[in-house]
Amino acid sequence: MGKKRCVAMLLAGGKGSRLNSLTKSLAKPAVPFGGKYRIIDFTLSNCTNSGIDTVGVLTQYQPLVLNSYIGIGSAWDLDRRNGGVTVLPPYSESSEVKWYTGTASAIYQNLTYLTQYEPEYVLILSGDHIYKMNYEQMLDYHIEKGADVTISVIEVPWEEASRFGIMNTNRDMEIVEFEEKPEDPKNNLASMGIYIFTWSLLKEYLKKDNLDPNSNHDFGKDIIPMLLREQKRLFAYPFKGYWKDVGTVKSLWEANMDLLDENCELNLFDYSWRIYSVNPNQPPQYISPGAEVIDSLINEGCTVEGEVTRSVLFQGVSVGSGSFIRETVVMPNTVIGQNVFIEKAIIPPNMRIPDGTVIQGSKESEDIILVSEEMLEEMIG
Amino acid sequence: MNKSLLGVIDATTHHEGLEDLMTYRSLAAIPFAGRYRLIDFVLSNMVNSNIESVAIFPKFQYRSLMDHLGSGKDWDLNRKRDGLFFFPSSIIEGIRRGIGSFNHFAANIDYFYRSKQEYALIANCFTVCQMNFKPVLEKHIQSGCDITEIYHGGKSMQMYLVKISLLIELIHMREETGYTCMSDVVSDIDHPYRLCFYEWNGYSMMIDSIQSYFAASMELLQPEIWKKLFLKEAPIYTKVKDEPPTRYSKESSVRHSMIANGCQMEGTVENSIISRAVSIGRGSIVKNCIIMQKTQIGENCLLDSVIIDKDVRLESGTVITGSSSSPYVIQKGKRQGALMSS
Repeated sequence: MGKKRCVAMLLAGGKGSRLNSLTKSLAKPAVPFGGKYRIIDFTLSNCTNSGIDTVGVLTQYQPLVLNSYIGIGSAWDLDRRNGGVTVLPPYSESSEVKWYTGTASAIYQNLTYLTQYEPEYVLILSGDHIYKMNYEQMLDYHIEKGADVTISVIEVPWEEASRFGIMNTNRDMEIVEFEEKPEDPKNNLASMGIYIFTWSLLKEYLKKDNLDPNSNHDFGKDIIPMLLREQKRLFAYPFKGYWKDVGTVKSLWEANMDLLDENCELNLFDYSWRIYSVNPNQPPQYISPGAEVIDSLINEGCTVEGEVTRSVLFQGVSVGSGSFIRETVVMPNTVIGQNVFIEKAIIPPNMRIPDGTVIQGSKESEDIILVSEEMLEEMIG
Repeated sequence: MNKSLLGVIDATTHHEGLEDLMTYRSLAAIPFAGRYRLIDFVLSNMVNSNIESVAIFPKFQYRSLMDHLGSGKDWDLNRKRDGLFFFPSSIIEGIRRGIGSFNHFAANIDYFYRSKQEYALIANCFTVCQMNFKPVLEKHIQSGCDITEIYHGGKSMQMYLVKISLLIELIHMREETGYTCMSDVVSDIDHPYRLCFYEWNGYSMMIDSIQSYFAASMELLQPEIWKKLFLKEAPIYTKVKDEPPTRYSKESSVRHSMIANGCQMEGTVENSIISRAVSIGRGSIVKNCIIMQKTQIGENCLLDSVIIDKDVRLESGTVITGSSSSPYVIQKGKRQGALMSS
């Protein structure tokens, strides 16, 4: 294997339990997003657009869909002779099967993968977030600051700061203190879960952490605090732009609706920073004579005969005549019958919504309905 | 049996009537149905019929065709054995020949010698159809024919199935027999071969003029037609592009249209076919039009029965009208200002 300057390790084993049935049979990074993509497309596209061509994807929870989706990485131009994408599942050693117990243990168990590239820097990413970011600029910053570790941070609203890992920094952006979900935050710079480590230091501290029986083997909980205790040079890299953790049904819905906002910072039509994905190769969308489509995103392979307003339709979705779909995300290949009314919902992939179904929340409730088979059965019963 | 058929696509045809769309590309590469090129249909039909070796014989401006096909990956034809072969013509032939020029084949005769397949399907590049060639081969073998010609609605589709050994013989004997191509053979009443006909009843449209191109495109807007062409079990493959889904604004009004990905719709669109990454500005009205890739239409334009090729920019306020019998055509890459319009 040829030497690589920077190798990315993408943590994609997240269960995403707050996404309920959407993550029953697939990992959170594989959840569909934005009419065509899966969440992991954003991170993988950022890698390829940032010139990082060696990416280890660490999978664990329900990996089938994710593994076959990533394949050999051609969709992101990551099918490379030297480097490219490598899926790294947990494996067994002579004595035991070693599950990834924490973010740090996942990397620790793949030190052999990293060693073969002898990188200077390791970029640690999570496959759970929607954002566009140039990691090369972050690496330049890391080098310029002479940092051991650089952690990407974003300003969050003060009232929400206590939900995040908060970095307290000095004027030079050097991190002096890290507080995980502080009750009384001193700062509103939240960690985005993106780290650049100088490889020699990462290797040393992962080994150290592995020997500690009291450690959770987690970057946020263990590695970062240990490095701060030992007075290493940790810097915060301030990121400006769109960044969203789509961890709940509501935030997933909101992030989809954000795409419909004309002033949204996440521009899918920006060809200089394209988001790549596995293209489904379906015929163009067909909008019938009686249909109406307003303020929506619609992917290829869709057939619209009803009225679609402020909604996101993935590939292969059909909407029957007389149906109204409003503020709803309809995932791939779902078929909506005639005279259906759906408002403020997410409909998972491959569902059949019978004629005449009505799905809407109560007027007061801000909740988003995640449609399920059980819900439909109850309605019919 | 599946492995015994190879595909030959004659992409040398030049139709005078389609010149406006052929300035920068060959007939095979003319965009169709929003996201395809004409060759995608016959090529996908071949792949869906388990044909694993396809030879394409192009001529005239084949750069865009090569760019489109690449290694054949999108058709699953980037194989270690067999796959996609590209044989550009080195012969300058003055006279237009029929489908399957033996001169052109002769220059690449090794392809036919080396292939393990027993039969060849020779097809043109300008027929839009959804067809499986397996039953054609079965019938050809069963009835012991030398040449099978595929027909549709009583007209030859200019597609022929023939044993490769016979094809090689025809190529070698071309000087003596005077047959220059497959259609020469079948149209000679005295030819010594057993000729059979296979009648195809499914969907098929030959594109040989602006009128037939326009009519075939408009016909696609009827669900009973496009449902025959686009089958889930036999997809039409094409070069994939990483376009985002199409965005419809609050002001847009789109009806009875076929729209590819990556478009930004802010105006009114009716009875039209819109290709990938087209933008239509606020207040513009687009009716009965075919608009190709990346064309940008400004605000308050009025377009009726117009074919607009790739990369065209229409300034705001442009008004252009054609008719269904004679649609107005704007060539690739043109800048059209409001005052220049017809």
